[in-house]
Parts: sequence; C-alpha cells; structure tokens
Amino acid sequence: MKIRASSIQNTPLVTSRCAQSIVPPWTRGDYRGVTLLPQAHLPTTLSSCRDGGDDFPSTQTNVRGSSGWIGTKAFHVLALFLFLVTPASAQQIYDLLLKNGHVIDPKNQRNGRYDIAVIGNKIVRVGDALPSSNAKLVVDASQYYVTPGLIDIHTHFDAQGAELNLNPDHNALQSGVTTAVDAGSSGWKHFEEFQTRIINHSQTRLLAFLNIVAAGMYGEKVENDVQEMDAEAAARMVKKYPQTIVGIKTAHFQPPTWDAVDRAVKAAELSNSIVMVDFHPKPGRGYPELILKHMRPGDIHTHFYGRLTPQLDAQKKVQPYMWEARKRGILFDVGHGAGSFWFRIAVPAIEQGFLPDTISTDIHKDSIMLPRANMITTMSKFLNIGLTLEQVIERSTVNPATAIRRPELGTLSEGSVADIAVLELEKGQFSFLDSGHGKLIGDKRLSCVLTVRDGKVVWDTKGLSLTEWSQAGPYSNFK
Amino acid sequence: MEEFLPISNSIVALVHRRSARRIACILPLVLAFASVALAQSYDILLQGGHVIDPANGVDQVMDVAISGDRIARVASNLPALQARKVLNVKGLYVTPGLIDLHAHVYGYSGSVFPDDTALLAGTTTVVDAGGAGWRSFDDFKKTIIDASKTRVLVFLNIVGRGMIGPEAEDDVNDMDAVKTAAKIKENPSEVVGIKVAHFGLPGWTALERAVEAGRLSKTPVMVDDKIFTNSGRTSREKLLRVMRPGDLHTHVYNDRQLEVVDRFTGKLQPYMLEARQRGVLFDLGHGGGSFLWPVAARAMEQGFPPDTISTDLHSSSIMIPQSDMANCISKLMNLGMKLQDAIARSTVNPARAVKRFPELGTLGEGKVADIAVFELKTGIFAFKDAWSKKLLGRQKLECIATIRNGRLVADLNGLGFPLWNTAGDYEVIP
Repeated sequence: MKIRASSIQNTPLVTSRCAQSIVPPWTRGDYRGVTLLPQAHLPTTLSSCRDGGDDFPSTQTNVRGSSGWIGTKAFHVLALFLFLVTPASAQQIYDLLLKNGHVIDPKNQRNGRYDIAVIGNKIVRVGDALPSSNAKLVVDASQYYVTPGLIDIHTHFDAQGAELNLNPDHNALQSGVTTAVDAGSSGWKHFEEFQTRIINHSQTRLLAFLNIVAAGMYGEKVENDVQEMDAEAAARMVKKYPQTIVGIKTAHFQPPTWDAVDRAVKAAELSNSIVMVDFHPKPGRGYPELILKHMRPGDIHTHFYGRLTPQLDAQKKVQPYMWEARKRGILFDVGHGAGSFWFRIAVPAIEQGFLPDTISTDIHKDSIMLPRANMITTMSKFLNIGLTLEQVIERSTVNPATAIRRPELGTLSEGSVADIAVLELEKGQFSFLDSGHGKLIGDKRLSCVLTVRDGKVVWDTKGLSLTEWSQAGPYSNFK
Repeated sequence: MEEFLPISNSIVALVHRRSARRIACILPLVLAFASVALAQSYDILLQGGHVIDPANGVDQVMDVAISGDRIARVASNLPALQARKVLNVKGLYVTPGLIDLHAHVYGYSGSVFPDDTALLAGTTTVVDAGGAGWRSFDDFKKTIIDASKTRVLVFLNIVGRGMIGPEAEDDVNDMDAVKTAAKIKENPSEVVGIKVAHFGLPGWTALERAVEAGRLSKTPVMVDDKIFTNSGRTSREKLLRVMRPGDLHTHVYNDRQLEVVDRFTGKLQPYMLEARQRGVLFDLGHGGGSFLWPVAARAMEQGFPPDTISTDLHSSSIMIPQSDMANCISKLMNLGMKLQDAIARSTVNPARAVKRFPELGTLGEGKVADIAVFELKTGIFAFKDAWSKKLLGRQKLECIATIRNGRLVADLNGLGFPLWNTAGDYEVIP
C-alpha cells in the first residue's frame, strides 16, 4: 500500500536491474535526424520493475509529513473518478483554459494547436476547441508556444546554504522552470536543513542531487576531503527522501584519485539512483576513463561543453570516446554556469551532431549576471546555434524528466500535474554571451510570458490571465 | 611633454582642460600623443547615449567615460579609439545607477539576494528597509552586505531582532532607541536611517522610539504603519505631529496606511499636501500590497507623485506585480510621469533622502561609476499592480546594461563584448 501510494509521486525507485536497461534512445544523437521521444522510457509504476528486489526504504513515510501523499492520493482518486464519470468536457468546469496555443509536448508527440484545460492542480483535457464558456479563467495563448513546465536539472537554489546559491522561485518560475534540481549544494549532513528552510517553502518543485561530500559545497577543503565522502550515509539520506532526492552529485574534486567519483557511484548503487558528475581531469585520472568505465549508463556528465574536459580534438572534432560513451548510455548535460558553456566548444560539437541530452543552467550568483545562465536564455542560445525549437523543448522537459527518473514530469499528458510554460518566440536581433563572455548574435529569442505551477498562474508578464484595473470594480479597500 | 603624461587617472581630465588651447596650436605630434594618453585612461566609454543626469541638469546625447571605478568625463565626442571597452549606446538612455530606497535583502522571510534582482534592473544601490535591527546588523553585514556586488545600505529596524515576524515586531521591549542609534553611529558607511514597520499594537510607541533613535543618530526614519481600527493612530496625526521633516512615509499608494485620496470621493487629502510642505517625504514602496492603480492614478492626476520611487522587492512582489525599479518607473510613466522626472525620483532624490548626495545618484565627473543603460520601448505592455490588476500602457523601460563601481556587471545585449567566432581560443573576456 505504501509502495503504491508513493509511486504516484516519487521516482519509481527502480532497482539496479531496471536501471541497467535504461539507455534512452535520444542518446544516439543524430543531429538533424533527432526524433522526438516516442514515449516514456521508464516504467511508470513500481510494479513493472519490482522483480529486481525491493529495498524500498521503511522510513519513506517521514517525507513531508504523512498527510502529503495521502492527500495527493485522495486527489488522484477524485480526479480519476471525475475523469471516468464525465463522458465529455461539456459538463466540466475548468479552473483554467489555455486556449489555442501552439503546444509542443515531445513526450506525447504533440506539435500543433491545442487547448489545455486544468482543474485544480491537474491537466484534465488536451484537445481541440474546448469550450471557453466552461472555464473560470481563459488565457488566449494563440500568439505563443505552450510547453510542459521546464525542468532544470542543474541549479543552486539552497538559498541559505553555499555562498553562490540563489533564491529559487523568481529565478526558476520566471524562466518557465517548474521543477529545479539543486546540484549538490548540500550533502547528507545539511540536507534536512535545506529541506525545511527552502524546499518546503518554495513554489518551484525543488528536487536535489545530494553531494557525496557530507558537508556539501562548503569550499575546497571539505570538497577535497575523502573522509567526508561516506557512500552509506549518503545513500541512507537518498532513501529517506525519495520524493526530493534524485541522485548523487560529485563536484570540484581535485586530488588525482578516483575516490570522489567511485564513492558517488557507490552511493548511487546503494540507493538505486544516479550520479551527476562535475569532473576535473588530472594526470592518471582521465576523462575517457570516466565516461567509459567509472560512470554507469544513466549517469550524467554535466558541464560537458566546458573547458576542463577534452571533448574535442585539436581540429575541433568530437572525440570518438564521446560517441562511445553516449552509445553506452552516459548522459551529457549542459550545466551552463559561469565557466562551463563556451560557444567555441558547443558550436563545433553541435555542428557535428553532438547535442546535449539535457539543457540546464548551473544557475548561481555569478552565472546569472553576464552569461545570463537562466533556463530561458540558455535555451535561446541553443536555438540560435541551430537546434530546432522541438529539440530545445525536448531537452528541457521530457529528457531531463527521464534522466532523473520522474517520467510523470515534463509532459502535458491528461492527468499529469498542471506545470505549464507559455513561451514567446521573438524574432529580431539578439545577443547572447557564453561563460567566457564571447558573444553570439542571433535572430530568435525565447521568453517566458506565463508560468503555471501546480495549477496556479505564478508568472504572467503580459497579464494574459489578469483583469484590467479600470474594469475590475472596487478592489482592496478602495471604493 | 611630461605634463601631458597622466600621473593618475583623476587628474587627466584637469590637465586636458587647462592645456587644451595650448595643445591645439603646438605640434600635431603633441596632439596625437596627448590624445593617446587621454584615451588610454578610459576603461569604458559609453558612446552616443542620451544621458539623463538630473543632479547635473544633463538631458542630451553625450558620451560617458569611466576610468577605474570613477566617472572620468561626461562630454560630447570623447575619443573612442583607445578606450579599453566601447559600448555603442546610441538610441539608449544612460542614467546614474538607480537607488532603490526600499528593498528586502536580509532578515525578512521574503527577502531576496540583491545582485540578480537589483543589478539586472539598473539598480546599483539598494537600501534594505528594516530586515535587520541592532542585534542582527553584524550578521547582515557579514553574510549579505560584504558579499554583494550591489551597494547595500540599511534602514535599521527599531526592533532589535529585525523584521522576523509579528511576535518580535510587536515587542516594545526590544525597541531600544539608544542601542539602535549607537549601532548607526558605529556603521555610518552602511546605515542611513531607521525603519519602523508592521507594528500591530495600539498607540505610538514604535514610531516614537524610531523617531527618538533618528534624533539621537541624526538620521531619517522610514515609516510603514498600518492604520487599523482602534489603533489610536490617524494618518493626519502621524504625518503632521509625529514624523519630522526628512522622515519618509513608504507605501504612499497603499490604501491602508495613509488614505492619500479619500476612498469615497477620490479627492487628495489636504493633510498630504500639508505634510509634504512640512518636508515629510513620500516613497513608493510598491511591494506585494502597496501599489494600487486606483490610488496611484488619482493621486498622480491631482499632482501628488512620490518623492522617491522604490520597489519593496521581495519574493512575492517580484512575481506577478514585477515591482523591480525599471518596472516601477514604467508604471509611473504610463500614469503620466516624464522619464526625466522618474529618473530624478530614482537617483538624486533618494540619494538626498538618505544624505548620500552628491556622493551617489549623479553622473558627476569624479563620482563613483554606478551607471544604468536603458531602452525605452514602445508598443503595448501590461503592468500589474500589487493586487494583480493590469494597466495596458504604451511605453516600457528596460535595463540593457549596468555598471557598478566601474565594472560592467550586466550586459543584456552583449554591447561590451566581442563576437565569439572572432575572438580565437578566448578565455574569460573581462
């Protein structure tokens, strides 16, 4: 019973045997021929993946108070009931109707004009000509693209934690990001503080990679200290918070040994999760060995267009081991940041068809300024390098959802949570800076005009969902 | 020849002016040498922008040159050739970095980090409005003030523990005027005054203690004071008896704190004018509940603009209402305020209000190089008040670049950087 309930909300904690089988097909990376993902590549329920042994943590009911999943479950049952007993949309009263937008929902292979209806915090219908008269709030999205709420799997939003961290909500939701994954700001020692002071209060769905370093990103000294890297303790914390922690992060490790990576992988094995690696090669600890031997299929190398790892040869040709690693299922994530996204590396790699599997920001106090490494600007950069809008959306929704094993996210499927982004594609002349402040001039720019998170409009630059004050009648105390 | 060599950046301009006439009639070689020496002294040149600098009465196309962390020259046709970085800002407005008198970057539960919220909107100075009190100021200084690129100044809360919730904020035993004043005197470079806010008990204790601390420390008080039933307080009395000339009432277009315009007749309250005449200042403080179109529109119509424009930016006002400085200015412009006037109320006026003029809020030569570059867009734009009601307006001010302390910290059009494919195997370009 517990297991089924949590499978609604959680990563379906797939067993290692299941994990082995996950080699997402988008990793084949055929640039011009990239096809949209046909369907989820992961089992959507735990039952389909239970045969490998069930070590579901007994502590899981502690997460966010037990009433959380009970309430959600009740809602699911109610929503399902409503859905089943209502033959057509005619009698349903929608709380929100996004009308006539250009929907791009790669998971469901939708790319065209649809209406999207929301009741409570769920998407209840995606269809043609849903009646506006049945909606409490209608948003005319005809000038815009409508996509699943974006997923940024490399952020630093433990706002009271490490020095460079930022506040989540305005930095995420204003970019259309409804799910952000903090990439290792905290380790097992401080994760619970992060949970209580930030995660529980943020409107953005905040998930986390747990740093293999017990104290998290608290400076060189601890981050290079192998004694700080306790795989068992980290794995225990991952299993204690299956709703929030999606995997393990290792980063910034300087000594010339494999300790950090190997312990992170060990912690991921113990917790049936994945590893996100930020890698600084050293003599005797090379990059090819990392992606061909130490990392496992489904693990993520972030910052892969950075200067630290040798992804291109002297002629700017993509190294053969990059293709080989991709074939074996290693995922390559952007993690833009203040030092890890360079046009001089990304453009040649993309021209040769080596696209990112996932687009993410590594947003923090420095990267947000000149390089403007928020999600929507980072996506615009890829659009102007030459990815299609579908490719960009795919790499910001379904791909990251699949990578972090949250197949219920990153989609506009009927019945899924109403996390939605409304994006404008502007044409004109725009400039973008990379981490080295090199400039790319492009003719397209994405901006986020409206964000729906958990069924609520939380960002609305153009006031699409709002009333004009002169027609609003008396409001506040004012007559 | 030696006299033309720049001994230090700050005297170059002076040398240049004195010698201009002589140079013009001596050898062309000298002229060439002098201009090279002069041009090299500029680190950044903003070329061809429309400069609005109300403090110096400038409102025309001019170049602005920066050397180190200072404004070196504001003049027409400055030599661009050898400036280290030239930004072509033709068609854009160049103003002093904006000063946001009412921000929340510490203490308050909705506070936000200053750099990503202020600098990207053209704000180079924020004044935290009461997040910290005398007990928590040192922590504020260490964790935020010293860690930000934004200049962070402080109104110290009269409550010793700061703005941490109703229990603390109603605790009159923690409102110590003497200790508050002492903390202000210890930290004159950061603390500019006192904030009193959210007081939920009857009577004048909180405001009177704040004014007392203001008197002891010779600084102004910023007031946020709900007028609620049975509080024993009235707006009229507050503005005309308790507050001093130079004290500020924030949230001027709120309707629960001042009743600027009569809520039934829409007429401007005479006591507002009387208070303004006495020298009480009125600050915008937009926030999540304090900027209403019906109040703002009627007050503006009747000639009662805010003295200073500020955001009360926090985790909720930053979302639907988008109360950053550039948007606050845009909102007032769409209610009829001129851009020049709005810039004055966002630069020189707030600098004066916190006694930081002429150090801040000006593009005067020799002053710190805190500068904002804006584009004034025309079209149809939605602006939202604190109650999520929209106004469709025709002009919108957008920040394009920000220079703080002589450094280009925000550059949304990449004006200050080279194309990647002409820059070779570039490392981080400064």
